[in-house]
Amino acid sequence: MKKYVFYPGCVMPTEQYAYELSIREIMPILDIELIDVKGFSCCGEPMKSVNQLMTIYLSARNISIAEKKGYDIFVPCPMCHLSLSECQNVLENNSDINKRINEMLSSENLSYNKPINIVNTVDLIHDIIGLEKIKNLVKNPLNNLKVATHYGCHLIRPSEIGRPVDSENPQKMENILKAIGAEPLDYPEKLDCCGSMINTNLPESALTKTGQKLVAVQDQNFDVFVDICPWCHRMFDSKQKKAGEIVATKLEVPVVYLTQLLGLSFGIDRNKLGFNLNLSPVEKIKLGGK
Amino acid sequence: MSIIDLTSMGEPQKDIKNEINTRLKKLQGEISEFCYQCAKCTSGCEAHKLLELEPHKIVALLKRGLIDELVNSDVIWTCMSCFKCRERCPQKVAPVEILFALKNIAVASGKPIPGKYSAMLQSILSIGLIQDAQTVSNHNNQTIKRNDLDLPDLSKPVDGNKFQLVLSKLAIEKI
Repeated sequence: MKKYVFYPGCVMPTEQYAYELSIREIMPILDIELIDVKGFSCCGEPMKSVNQLMTIYLSARNISIAEKKGYDIFVPCPMCHLSLSECQNVLENNSDINKRINEMLSSENLSYNKPINIVNTVDLIHDIIGLEKIKNLVKNPLNNLKVATHYGCHLIRPSEIGRPVDSENPQKMENILKAIGAEPLDYPEKLDCCGSMINTNLPESALTKTGQKLVAVQDQNFDVFVDICPWCHRMFDSKQKKAGEIVATKLEVPVVYLTQLLGLSFGIDRNKLGFNLNLSPVEKIKLGGK
Repeated sequence: MSIIDLTSMGEPQKDIKNEINTRLKKLQGEISEFCYQCAKCTSGCEAHKLLELEPHKIVALLKRGLIDELVNSDVIWTCMSCFKCRERCPQKVAPVEILFALKNIAVASGKPIPGKYSAMLQSILSIGLIQDAQTVSNHNNQTIKRNDLDLPDLSKPVDGNKFQLVLSKLAIEKI
């Protein structure tokens, strides 16, 4: 049993419950123990446009809390994952900022001392748990399920910071999906952004981005669209209907978290995986061929 | 290119003009040396087609010292932070980071913050997260709360006062 401090962030534990439910459901099966810790805050990334020092401080604070527990940190949200990774990078390479941040941390009896491993859902499953283990757990192979993947910008770039997957040709989700019998296929719009980051100030433009990508996926007859980012999922699943209205297309693309699809292949009940919380037409996902 | 030192706008608000000017001069200097306007950034920009953001032009304007114009422009708030420009720039100029810096400067010089940024900041100050647990609709149009789902309590700062104190020093005054 490998142990990780579980860093939930903001969006997943306050509204994207299906991601959290499916993670908590499948991790014990994969011999991963998640340790819940009190005291975490926002990672700071949503505030980067407003005040970048605040972003670094908030990330450093969360890393320090995990470090105090003595375990590596599991960060399922790609945005939090980038923020924490970038913060660690800055603190390791810039002694002035390191000193200032540590002064601020001291008021809560925290300190940043050394880098820890920051893992996301994709590298945890693909690199640490491994595809062999996944294959052995499959009870319901998702045969012939044509899948379009969406990684989320923050998970794949900038590679300079060190990201869990390749920046121009990410394939780890595809490998995981093949291991559970599905048929992931590349498509021209695979690396397109969901638009979520401007949903705060330009919601219509954000939803246009979302809608454009979903139209492309729908036109290419994919059975399911798989993501792993709560910000992206909020756009593609929770706001799919709105996005369809904005791009004047009836959108009916089933959108699920990778962890939900894994759970399904392991034979876990749909409700336990939060399928009843997806707003896209997930009932269209048929197992065992069409 | 590191621009962290250019964007840490959390210092006391006195002499802010001077500090901003120093930071921008440094930023300008670094860019002038590297960017040769190949526009690879713009060719992949997610906000380009939809909102006419042209990262290479942002860099060009900065090189020419048109900083006030940039800071006052709405276009800096159209960046979707997809990081493609930073990933692909052959000269490692990172327009996305320049845009973050310009937005930070706009905020620090008292320009109104667009959209829900202020609300998110307020929420971080009061509960540590950008929003509290939401009531959501499920597939059958029923409302669901976090408490209905047998999930552990939300992880939030334990000592709210101490957390707030540090953060409000960092936050800008007018929020």
